[in-house]
Formats: sequence, structure tokens, C-alpha cells
Amino acid sequence: MPLLIFRKTLSLATLLLLVSLIVFGVLYVLPGDPAQLILGLNASDETLANLRSQLGLDQPYWSQYLNWLGNHLRGRSGESITYGVPVSRLIGNALLVTGPLALLAMLVAVLMAIPLGIFAARHRHRPGDTLVMGATQLGLAIPEFWLGLLLMLLFAVQLGWLPAGGFPGWQVNAWGSIKAILLPAFALGVIRAAILTRLTRSAMLEVLGEDYVRTARAKGLRPRTVIYLHALKNALIPVLTVMGLQLGQLLAGAVIIENVYHLPGLGRLIFQAIGQRDLPVVRDGVLFMAAAVVCVNYLVDMAYVVIDPRMRLER
Amino acid sequence: MMHARFGRRKRGFIAVMLGLFLLMAVALPAGAMAPLKGGHLTVCQSAEPPGLDPTANTAAAIDRVVYANLFEGLVKVDRSGKLVPGLASRWEVSEAGRRYRFDLRKGVSFHDGRPFDASVARWNLEQAMGADTINPHPEYFRGIATMETPDPYTLIIDLKDTDALFLTHLAEGDAVMLPKGDRAPAKTDPVGTGPFRFVKWVRGDRVELVRFDGYWGGERPYLDRVTFKFIGDAAAQLAALKSGQIDVIGSIAAPESAFSLSKDKRFKVFAGTTTGEVILSTNNKAAPFDNKLVRQAMAHAIDRQVVVDLVMFGYGTPIGSHWSPATPYYQDLTGMFPYDPERARELLKTAGYPDGFAATIKLPAIYSYSRRAGEVIADMLAKVGIRLDIEIIEWGQWIERIYKKKEYQLTMIGHVEAWDIGIYANPDYYFQYDSEEFRTAYAKALSAPDEASKAKWFGECQRIIAADAVNGFMFSAPSLAVMKAGVMNWWPDYPTVALDCSEVWLKP
Repeated sequence: MPLLIFRKTLSLATLLLLVSLIVFGVLYVLPGDPAQLILGLNASDETLANLRSQLGLDQPYWSQYLNWLGNHLRGRSGESITYGVPVSRLIGNALLVTGPLALLAMLVAVLMAIPLGIFAARHRHRPGDTLVMGATQLGLAIPEFWLGLLLMLLFAVQLGWLPAGGFPGWQVNAWGSIKAILLPAFALGVIRAAILTRLTRSAMLEVLGEDYVRTARAKGLRPRTVIYLHALKNALIPVLTVMGLQLGQLLAGAVIIENVYHLPGLGRLIFQAIGQRDLPVVRDGVLFMAAAVVCVNYLVDMAYVVIDPRMRLER
Repeated sequence: MMHARFGRRKRGFIAVMLGLFLLMAVALPAGAMAPLKGGHLTVCQSAEPPGLDPTANTAAAIDRVVYANLFEGLVKVDRSGKLVPGLASRWEVSEAGRRYRFDLRKGVSFHDGRPFDASVARWNLEQAMGADTINPHPEYFRGIATMETPDPYTLIIDLKDTDALFLTHLAEGDAVMLPKGDRAPAKTDPVGTGPFRFVKWVRGDRVELVRFDGYWGGERPYLDRVTFKFIGDAAAQLAALKSGQIDVIGSIAAPESAFSLSKDKRFKVFAGTTTGEVILSTNNKAAPFDNKLVRQAMAHAIDRQVVVDLVMFGYGTPIGSHWSPATPYYQDLTGMFPYDPERARELLKTAGYPDGFAATIKLPAIYSYSRRAGEVIADMLAKVGIRLDIEIIEWGQWIERIYKKKEYQLTMIGHVEAWDIGIYANPDYYFQYDSEEFRTAYAKALSAPDEASKAKWFGECQRIIAADAVNGFMFSAPSLAVMKAGVMNWWPDYPTVALDCSEVWLKP
């Protein structure tokens, strides 16, 4: 186990170094002078030059990169150009929104997908199955921003039950904060549930056809016990893999729904930072996302081991 | 008998009604209701400000949050566009227009209790014009020769030359007063003299302000709290307004929804004027637009009112030059090139393009009005033989390729700063317009000693660029403020870049 952790950490570090090089390179060749974007179109050349030297933008590429790397190795993150606060604090605050949002969305997705997938598998080719499969088709086809807007119009504008967006902050109003992420989490969750339902159904169908399930049934176990205790565990492996991918994607890419609900999350932070050429935020933000995706995948690997004892032997 | 009695009664009724009417007429101008104190106003604006220091950044999003709310300058722009006393209670300008004597308000303090006086004012102006300045417009202040502070409430400024726009510049966000000392906190924890004091900035979401009890303005401000909320998505803005989370949208992103809201009794819509001009920016050095006849042909080929109708749903005022109707000395030049496709084709023929030509228009992706207007204009120009290829580009690219490197033929953009006609005097500006005639007129306007000659020369400036058809002058952007019916005293026009809440109050 310690060896495994060491190996994973080493590969994580290498990956992050690679990502940082790519991000730095891309941002360097990207047109658009940060100083000009900050000061506005009619700023005088003299002020532009003053700001460029203040931001270190007048230094060569490699020196900017080494400075940045050195600071990070010493545990110091840069300061946001537009916000004037440390990037680590910005990412931390954004994560307090995006983290719960992603987890809640996954919860919605799992709570919908697993029962529906099992139901569809058990009623294969019967009307119930057709109905569920039709609904998942719809879920796959609907863009999430549109679903988000529809939910907002119904529950916020018409019924007034939930806010139409914004985020009060956990310390200010915890209940209000939960209410603020309910609708966006639901919109994100439903779309992901559509994929997971189809996956659960096909995995279940495969497992239900196997010999051990027939044996379990033959020895007189109740259908419910067979399904939930014996079949589901095995069917969950592919579902878990996709869930891991989805969670990573949610942490990194809830940008559209965060814009629709104007939530101050990670996706929106980086999206806005790209537009304003807030380079320190973009660099560290993208790096953080890469790290998050790798870590989630790592956790999924660990979960395989818990679910499936056979995997323990392979290591 | 019957008739007579009826007649008398009717006359009595009319008299009562007339009396009521007169009463109303007297009462209304004074304000149908005295402003109520208290309340929390939430204002939505599309863009989050990049920092909160208006003296270090020209972003309009900053001025909209802080101007006249948090920070004040010596001079202020009021709701009608007039220059009125700010932190200076009055001023005198000498005959030649070179010496300004400001009497500063007494008893003004910053939000942290430090007093404001002449030495603070002087320090701020010195910062702006200094060698290590971070003010985007040091040239506004570099005309200052000397400053004297004979007593704590008098500031005397001597200019090197007459500058007709000096007071105007002192009224802009670039010239607001910060407390003396370290400037850095202004970006994140601003301290000013305004009616509201800074509480906190939740990045990505909102800026919270609260009433400053030590404000010099007597009764004002009426509101207890003001929150600026940043929502970029047009549909989300509308949903937030309708569900009651916000009270005002400073400038609605989608003009089509302003139209539907104006039909709804719960809301009111102001479609006033702004300082912004939306123009078809033209590279005057790129063929074939280096030919004046071609540019004039384009001016004839575009029906500006139709552009306003299609792009802005009728909100906005067609313009004929780079000057908004909201700014003093405006000249209506919309008649100089009336919509006349026939004349446009003739001009093209004279210019040597009997069959027209093909060109590229590059439109910035972030501005929906620009993309829409680009499409409408491409269609109109096609009718006279000018075939436009539309290319949508990202904002950073726009700045790099179009604004800096001038790699373009046509683009479409709004210029929001007031009094910015001076950009035509710079031959290196992205229009690439080089006219000695204009530069002379502009210099005369700047050194104009009195109102009459200011009007004459600023008018002349407008006329010259209109006649040269430097750019396609389209329309002045509408203010398009949308709010709940109970929000009172909001500015109907935006004569400067600001969302001034100092006089706003809430009717329950």
C-alpha cells in the first residue's frame, strides 16, 4: 500500500509539472496583453509599461516560469491581477461552492440512476423499460444550461420556492446556500443520471445472465436479495468508473451551469479569468483542476478494491 | 330648471377637478412623496469590476460600482450631465482659463475617520501625474504647472495651457480622492469619502456597501445598504429580477427583454441616453477604406434607424458623429449622409468600384450588440455591392490584432468614455485617421476660453469627422435601466459612467 501511494504521488507530481508547462506555454502565446486588458483601451503607454514591469510581464518566458515554479514549491501561490488577493484563497472559496455542488449533483445522479437502471433491467423490453430508456434519451439530448433555465423559470420565477441564482455563503446563511445549489445540482445530476441509468441497465443485464445469479436464484433466495446483494456489486464496477470521470468533470467543468445560476464556483472563476487574462488565476486554477481529476480517479481505483476483492490480489 | 341645476353642479365638479389638478401640478415637481429613509437596494451589473480603484483602471465596471457611491472627486457629474460641486463646494476659473481656485468642503472625512483637506487633494493629483503613475490617464493631469494650498480648504491649480476639458476630467473616476498614504488597499479594501462605505467583496458574486453615517451630504444617502451583484447571463439577470432577488439591472444585457418588462406594471424601464457611441470602426489606411468616397458610400448605404430597430429593439438614438446626444455641445449630423443606396452605388462607381468589392468585418464575441449589428450592416452593404465576410473574434484577440496591430478593415464596437473625440487627433489610433484639419480644430476646442467658442470648436470637430466619414457612426447606446416600480430617483440617463445610488430611495 505505501508503495502504491508513493507511485501515485510521483505520477501526480510529474503530471502536474507537465500540465503547468503546457498551461504556461499556451497562455504565453495567447494574444491579448494582460496590462492592456486591465487598464482599458485608452490607457497611456507609460502606465501600460509601468504595470507590465510591476506584473513581471516584461521578463522572458523561462524566467517567468521559474519564478512561478519556485514560488509554488515554497508553498506561495500568486496574487490575482483583477482581484488583488492570493489565488489559493480564491480557489479555496470557489471550491466551497463547486465541491458541494458536484457532490450533490452526483448524489442526485446516483439516487436516480441505480434504481432506474435496475428497474429497467428487470423489466427488459417491457413498457417500463421502454419508458425509462426513452427518458434517458431525452436526458442525453437536453443541454444542461437549457434544463437549468427551465428549472429556474419554474421553481424560482413562477413558484418562488428557490432562488434564481447567486450564493449567499456558508457562514452568512447555510440553509440559503443549500437552497442556492439545489436547482443547479439537480440540473447537473439529471443529465448525468441519464448516462448512468443506461450503464447500470446494461451492466445489470450482463450480470443477471451469469451462472452465479442463476445458482443464487435456484437455491431459493428472494429476487431482491439476488439483485441487491449479489448482482449489483458486480454490475457497479463500470458504473463506478464512469462516476469517477463524471465527478472529475463536474469539479472542473460546471462552468456553464455556474454561469446560468451565477454561482461563484471554480468553473466561473477560471472562465472569467481567461477573459480578463488574469494569468495567475488561470494557471493555478487549471493546475488545480488537473490535480482534482487525477485524485478523483485515484479514489475510484481505491474503491474498486473495496468493492471487488479480486482486485486486491492483482496488486 | 333642470338644465340650470345640472349645469351648476357640473361647473362645480369641473372647478373641484381643476383645483385638484393644480394641487397635483404644484405637488408633483417637488416630488410626489418625500424620500423615505432606509432599505436595502440590490443592483445588478453584468461585469464584475477588476479591482475597486477607479484611479488605477479605466474599466467601466469599476466606476459603476464606486463612482459617487464610494469615492468622490472635487467635481461631480450630476444626473443631467452638468458639472456640479463634489468635494469642492465652489470654484473660480481665471479669465484666461489657466488658474483654478477650488474652495473645498469643510468637515469632510474619509470612511476611516481621516479628514479630507487641500493637502490630500494635492497629493492625489500629484500621484496621478507622477513618473511612477498607475493612473491610466496621466495626461489628464500633466497640464498642471503648479499647485498651491494657501490654507487647508483652498487648492489653487495653475495650468501650463488652457484646457477646456480640465474640469471634466476632474469629474471622472480617474480623479477621485483617496486617503493619503498607501494606495494599494484601494483595489481591495477601498476607503473614500462617498455616501456609502465598503463592507466586503465576495469574489465572483457581489460587493456590499453600507450607509456612511459621517457623510457630509445632510439627509443623503437615503438607503441603508447597497449591494452590487454581478450576473453576466442575460436570462439569469431577468430571472433574478422577476424572482425578486435584485431590484435594479443597471443596464440590461438583452434589449428585447426591456421591451417585455416595460409592459409589466411591477417594473419600470428607463431608455435614456448614455455617453457611449456604437460605431463601425474603419481602418482608414486599409484599402479600399483609405478612399473617402468608399467610406461616404457606406455611410449612405446604412439605414441607422433600422439598425437601432433590429439590433436594439428600437432603444438607442442614431448619431451622425462621434458624440453622444447626452454630452454638451452635441451637433445633430445624422442628416449629413441620409440613407440612399442609389447615391452609395454612384459614389462607389466614382471611387472605381462599379461592381463593389469584398471585405472582412471582425466582431468581438463578448458584445452581442456588436455581433447583431455586424450582421444587419453586412446585409445592408451587400445591397450596394459591398460583400462582407463576418469573423467573430475573442476579446483578447480584438485588443491585440485590431486595437494594437491594426490588422483589420472593419469592426463594430461601443466607445463608452465621454469626451473621447480626442482619439481622432491621434493618427496612430486604431482608426488610422490622419487629419491636420481635425487636429487644429481639436486644439482650438481644448484651448477655447469661453462657452461659445467651446461649442463652436467641439461642434467643428464633430463635423469634420462626420464629413470624412472616418467611421460608420451608428447609434448612441441606450441606458436601459430596468427596476422594480418602487425604486425611486434612479438616473434616467447615464451622462457619465456611473450607477449613482446617493439619491435613490425605496417606496414600499
